[in-house]
Amino acid sequence: MSCSSLDLRAYVLGEVDRQEQTACENHLSACAICRQEVEQLSLTRTALLSLADEEIPQRIAFVSDKVFEPKWWQGIWGSGPAMVFASAALLSSAIFVHAYSRPASVVAPAPVARIDTAQIQAEVDRRVQAAVAKAVAEVEKRQNAKTAQVLAAAEHRYEFQRQADLAVAQQQISLYRNQMGRLMVAANYPATRGEQ
Amino acid sequence: MIFREVEDRDLIAKARRGGVDAFNVLVSRWEKRVYNYLFRLVRNREDALDLTQDAFLKAFQNLKKLDDPDRFAAWLFRIAHNEAYSMLRKSRPEGELDHEPRTHDLTNRMFPVELSLAVESALNRLSTDQREAVVLKVYQGFKFEEMAEILACPVSTVKSRLYTALDLLKGTLAPIALRGVE
Repeated sequence: MSCSSLDLRAYVLGEVDRQEQTACENHLSACAICRQEVEQLSLTRTALLSLADEEIPQRIAFVSDKVFEPKWWQGIWGSGPAMVFASAALLSSAIFVHAYSRPASVVAPAPVARIDTAQIQAEVDRRVQAAVAKAVAEVEKRQNAKTAQVLAAAEHRYEFQRQADLAVAQQQISLYRNQMGRLMVAANYPATRGEQ
Repeated sequence: MIFREVEDRDLIAKARRGGVDAFNVLVSRWEKRVYNYLFRLVRNREDALDLTQDAFLKAFQNLKKLDDPDRFAAWLFRIAHNEAYSMLRKSRPEGELDHEPRTHDLTNRMFPVELSLAVESALNRLSTDQREAVVLKVYQGFKFEEMAEILACPVSTVKSRLYTALDLLKGTLAPIALRGVE
């Protein structure tokens, strides 16, 4: 049997049947090259197996562990009767809470003590009169201030008008004087010329 | 192993009828293997732990879709694979899912003190697909057909990824392992 027809790797790895194993062993006893190849493969496999398995650093969580168990609310959610019971309990709790926490009934007002109406009326009149007096005083004050303001303005206007009239009168007087002077000069002029 | 498979089948049957406790036993039984598979795939402990948790939760939710209880292991790892690739696609661009070169030379490392580091580093040099094939085969002991089921690809593709990865690992690890033997 030739070297190429043998699967020496399968032989070393134990993947050959009894017939192939016998054929390989017969060939190896006669072929130094294949014997060396098998020896090297066996050494390689031995070296690989020197690397031992590690212990697992942490136990793998079992399916029954807490971490895989459904939450309490998931259990209720997934169960019809439990869901109905939980709903009923919630509703009854809401009713009780509402019953105990609603507002208290309105308390009747306390009896009002008897009072003297005449005294109240007198007090009201007094306050009204005071308020009226105060209002009247304020109105009078505002009226006086306004009157004084109007008078001052009138006086100011009168003074201004008087000054203006005075200025006009002075201008007229000045004008008359000039005319008078010219007339007097004109009256005297022919006599003077005639005498010459 | 046969006894265990029978027990798994019984537990799966009970869990499918709503038996949470039966599924919890399955979780205890498989969590370490799933975690180590995911840890070697995503190379981050916290992510691997979260993915393991998610994978078992999805397995419980979809247990009724499992057609053959005897294929529970492959089915469970298929879920874990999907979870891991979903996270890797979100956290890294498409191109970064593959090769991540390392510059340092491992052949200078000493055996056996740093062999584990050398193996880890050599695995990290593989693409995600290649590394996953090695993890499923070498560390988890799945058959080619089961790997094809987990990875949702033909057996030929599984072999291609695995053999390429073995050749790369052989070039790095065989000399170190040989010095250790000598």
